[in-house]
Amino acid sequence: MGVFFGLKTVIASSKGLSWRCVDLVHVEKISHKAQYAHIKGELFMDDIVVTKSSPNSLDTGTRLQLYRMMLECRVLEKRAYDLFMQNLIKGTSHLSLGQEAIAAGFGVAMRPDDYTFCTYRGHNHTYVRGVTMASILGELMGRECGLLRGKGGSMHLMSMEHGALGSYAIVGAHLPIAAGAAWSAQYRGTEQVSVCFFGDGTTNIGGFHEALNFAVIWKLPVIFVCENNRYMEYTAISDVTAVENPAADRAAAYGLESILIDGNDVDVVYHTAMRALSQARRGGGPSLIEALTYRHGGHSRADPGKYRPDEEVAAWLKKDPLPTYRKRLLKLGLAEASLEAIEAETEAMIDEATETARNSNPPPEDIAYTDLWADGSATWRN
Amino acid sequence: MAELTYREAVTAAISQEMRLDSNVVFLGEDIAAAGGVFKTTQGLLEEFGPDRVRDTPISEQAIIGAVMGAAMTGLRPIAEIMFSDFFAVCWDLVANQIAKTRYMTDGQCSFPLVIRSANGGGSRFGAQHSQSVENWAMAVPGLKVVAPSNPADIKGLLAASIRDPDPVLFFEQKSLYATKGDVPEDEHVVPLGQARIVRSGNDVTIVALAAMVLRAEKAAETLAQEHGISATIVDVRSLVPLDTKTILEEVGKTGRLVTVEENPRLCGWGAEIASIVAEELFWDLDGPIVRVTTPHIPLPSADALEDAMLPSPARIVEAVRQLVD
Amino acid sequence: MDILMPQLGETVVEGTIAAWHKKVGDTVAKDELLLDIETDKAATEVPAPEAGVITAIHVKEGQTVDVGVVLAVINGPDKADADPTDTIKPDLAAIRAGTSTPPAAVVVAPEPEPEPQAPTPPAAETGKRLRLSPVVRRLIAEQQLDAHQIQGSGRGGRITRSDVIAFAEARNTASAQIARPSAPAQPAAGERLTFNRIRRLTAEHMVRSKATSPHVLQAVEVDFSAVDQVRLALREDWRRDNGFSLTYLPFIARATCMAIRDFPRINASVDGDGLVMHHRVHLSIAVALGLEGLVAPVIRDAGDLTVSGLARRISEISARARDKALGVDDFAGGTYTLSNNGSFGTLLTAPIINQPQIAILSIDAIKKRAVVIEGPEGDAIGVRPIGVLSQSFDHRAIDGAYSAAFLDKLKTLLEQRDWFAEL
Repeated sequence: MGVFFGLKTVIASSKGLSWRCVDLVHVEKISHKAQYAHIKGELFMDDIVVTKSSPNSLDTGTRLQLYRMMLECRVLEKRAYDLFMQNLIKGTSHLSLGQEAIAAGFGVAMRPDDYTFCTYRGHNHTYVRGVTMASILGELMGRECGLLRGKGGSMHLMSMEHGALGSYAIVGAHLPIAAGAAWSAQYRGTEQVSVCFFGDGTTNIGGFHEALNFAVIWKLPVIFVCENNRYMEYTAISDVTAVENPAADRAAAYGLESILIDGNDVDVVYHTAMRALSQARRGGGPSLIEALTYRHGGHSRADPGKYRPDEEVAAWLKKDPLPTYRKRLLKLGLAEASLEAIEAETEAMIDEATETARNSNPPPEDIAYTDLWADGSATWRN
Repeated sequence: MAELTYREAVTAAISQEMRLDSNVVFLGEDIAAAGGVFKTTQGLLEEFGPDRVRDTPISEQAIIGAVMGAAMTGLRPIAEIMFSDFFAVCWDLVANQIAKTRYMTDGQCSFPLVIRSANGGGSRFGAQHSQSVENWAMAVPGLKVVAPSNPADIKGLLAASIRDPDPVLFFEQKSLYATKGDVPEDEHVVPLGQARIVRSGNDVTIVALAAMVLRAEKAAETLAQEHGISATIVDVRSLVPLDTKTILEEVGKTGRLVTVEENPRLCGWGAEIASIVAEELFWDLDGPIVRVTTPHIPLPSADALEDAMLPSPARIVEAVRQLVD
Repeated sequence: MDILMPQLGETVVEGTIAAWHKKVGDTVAKDELLLDIETDKAATEVPAPEAGVITAIHVKEGQTVDVGVVLAVINGPDKADADPTDTIKPDLAAIRAGTSTPPAAVVVAPEPEPEPQAPTPPAAETGKRLRLSPVVRRLIAEQQLDAHQIQGSGRGGRITRSDVIAFAEARNTASAQIARPSAPAQPAAGERLTFNRIRRLTAEHMVRSKATSPHVLQAVEVDFSAVDQVRLALREDWRRDNGFSLTYLPFIARATCMAIRDFPRINASVDGDGLVMHHRVHLSIAVALGLEGLVAPVIRDAGDLTVSGLARRISEISARARDKALGVDDFAGGTYTLSNNGSFGTLLTAPIINQPQIAILSIDAIKKRAVVIEGPEGDAIGVRPIGVLSQSFDHRAIDGAYSAAFLDKLKTLLEQRDWFAEL
């Protein structure tokens, strides 16, 4: 069973579907069967109409910000895909094409001094904190201009100055770390919140359990965001999980509210994020959010994703957050020209960034011997 | 000077540093209200309050993750892992996350944290609560590793570890908790990366760590009085950073090296030192390098068996005698 | 004597025991087949170099060892740690007379001052592959030494770092020595004097001897008037004819050999739960090498020699000891030891038994004393040359009564034998 919360504005489809957002005050239980019907594509969101605006609905500026953010994430990942195909990006990378709404929604909602932690599929989560495209592409290409000067690679993007406290390649490892950063904020008495992004597969690893329990008992200002893209690497999550909703159904085990949202609706994500952030900031403790989404590509570059049924993929492509949001914005009355302007700017941005990254040199060898320790050295002996 | 036990010196160091720096916080299992299962942290909760001294659930991954997150955001946390064998439970956080993140991120963050743990055998607790695992830590780039042998060094080195800007794994040898020694009462800090020469001799250099230092001292007495062999003893104290200079100097003087290690044989810390000496001091060696270690087995629990497995003064004496001809 | 792995070919460095023809405890005649050895080039039968009893076999059939390693021992003390190429070491199975004060120069006869210890050339070093540790190699190279000249004090004759250093130092200072060098300067108070090889080995053997044998000390006072008469009468001629002085020692040695005939258990070794009484008397004579230590070379078949013969042999062997010209055979097979401490001026000494012997005699200072002389007219005081002979014996082997009887015989011989007739 799923519990929804959302916009004060009720959004419904013209087909009278059973899926709807309800306002923040009134939480309605929606049968999860209906929920999954929607997800599986049996119900469509083509005709979403905003019937009523309210003080809590988003202003245009924020909406445009959200759109821009998603678009920039999209082109960044697309360019990473292209560069990989051109063999300019080596090793592997884990792209989150199709999942932009979650990173963008939170990215706009967060304050600059909030902390984020993400997985190896974290280009977008890092980007939305204010990191440049060139530094991300440069890092993926192993160049000196890279965010980590080529020392970390795709899976370890971090920008301390932007509050992006790292991408972590071991499943589940960063959940306790995110809790620790939240503890630090709590101890220091700031309003900072730690937001932790991870996938559905993470909910089955030990660190998930430890981090959640820990965060709850100490009432830490941390938000755990599970991006459920339905597959844990190459395996359907439902095959390997004891409960139906891998995160939302486990929230009760920690005394937390069960939150299950449409992760491809950036408005929903944004509002969910704001609610959770404000709860955490006022000492209300942690949240566990499950956001349903879908990745357009495989798990990694090595994976063409052939294990997913074609109809499923097709259905989800129809719910691609970008075209759907674009449509919504137009329906809300935003001028197409403003959207086109954003699109042009974004394209120019990514091209410039690509150029910068391609022109950057590989890092000098001597940096491999630096920064093992805080003093910049790597010496273990005298 | 005050005479403190090894365990009291732990408390002394933590309170010294917590008084000096309000960013120092401490968490672990049963460390606050109970004062630690080994009574190493009694009185800290009372002095510093529940915000700074916190009991955790049995969640090693959460504990270590928490200190990592806290350390990268401005605090100087201390974590306790109750028995060093339990490092295996949270080894990902230690070896993959804490140890590597500064390096991978081109130095963007640092982790001024200490993870202290009760290490080693001699207490009849059985294999899963008795191993010496300092060699595990030594093998991971990015971790500093400290293992004191006496109360004064506990206080001084723990204080230094807490002040260190890098992650330090601080191994307290549980068999030494009741041992006593003189400890400076004022602010006492012993820098990492300095070995201590316990005694000087001519015939052999014995390099030992933690509880093995005391056994080496007993062996040296026997060697001197009954066999006319005089031994230098070097207490390594700090595996990373390693005081290679002192070790090479002292082995160079005698031409002979014997290491005494509580860890199981393969890839013990002494193997690395033996390798360094073999490479850098080859032309000063007057005999093979000998390692006296626990055999390569998990420690048995029966007292007779455990005592036979851990390096004893008699075994050290015999090894030295064979070496010195 | 030690049976060593022979070098059965120029480039051969090791051999394998193919078969033993004797086992421990067996008697073997000289030249009787002892064992078969194989190398990758040849197979050889090895005969026994002397007759005797196999007292130890160290290497089993099928084992391969380096050339020079001790394979077995005939008639010998336990040579577990004796190095056949080390001329001094095997002898250290014999116990030097021990005192607790640093030994001053001991004059045996004649009385030349000991030379400073120069490195002894090894007796049978060639053919044994030298095992040189890294530091030894480096030092040898740096100082341009010849490894074959250096005596090894390590196990198996290994040359240690201190051996090389000592050798180099001695070589450097030897040329600066004057003809009559004094004993090395005493160390300053608080200075640490590292034991040299002989000292260390001495220490080890002393400890072992005391641990092995329950020592009992017995002493007798001996009136050397009879001996003196002969000695002093013959002194000038003897010196002229022989080139050295006639001292008390040959007389005592002679008397000892004669007394042993009546007390064969004195000339024996403990073998497990039995006593092996040796047919022949081979006297070990302790010789001092300056302050650097003592050695005890053996006069073989001393029982067959007269006083003159003994005197000459003693003199010769002492000279060779000081010249570092003693060989392996010089240390083999001693059955009883004489330790002449007379020149110290001491009254009495409790010597440490020279294993695997079961007794040792210390000869201390012979001085004029006032003694009671019993006569038919009553007792009178006279002046006589009196010296104490003190014997330490192994109480496993014999009892006080036996030892005392032996000493009494010795005393009687010295005091009452017609020494003029002997010479």
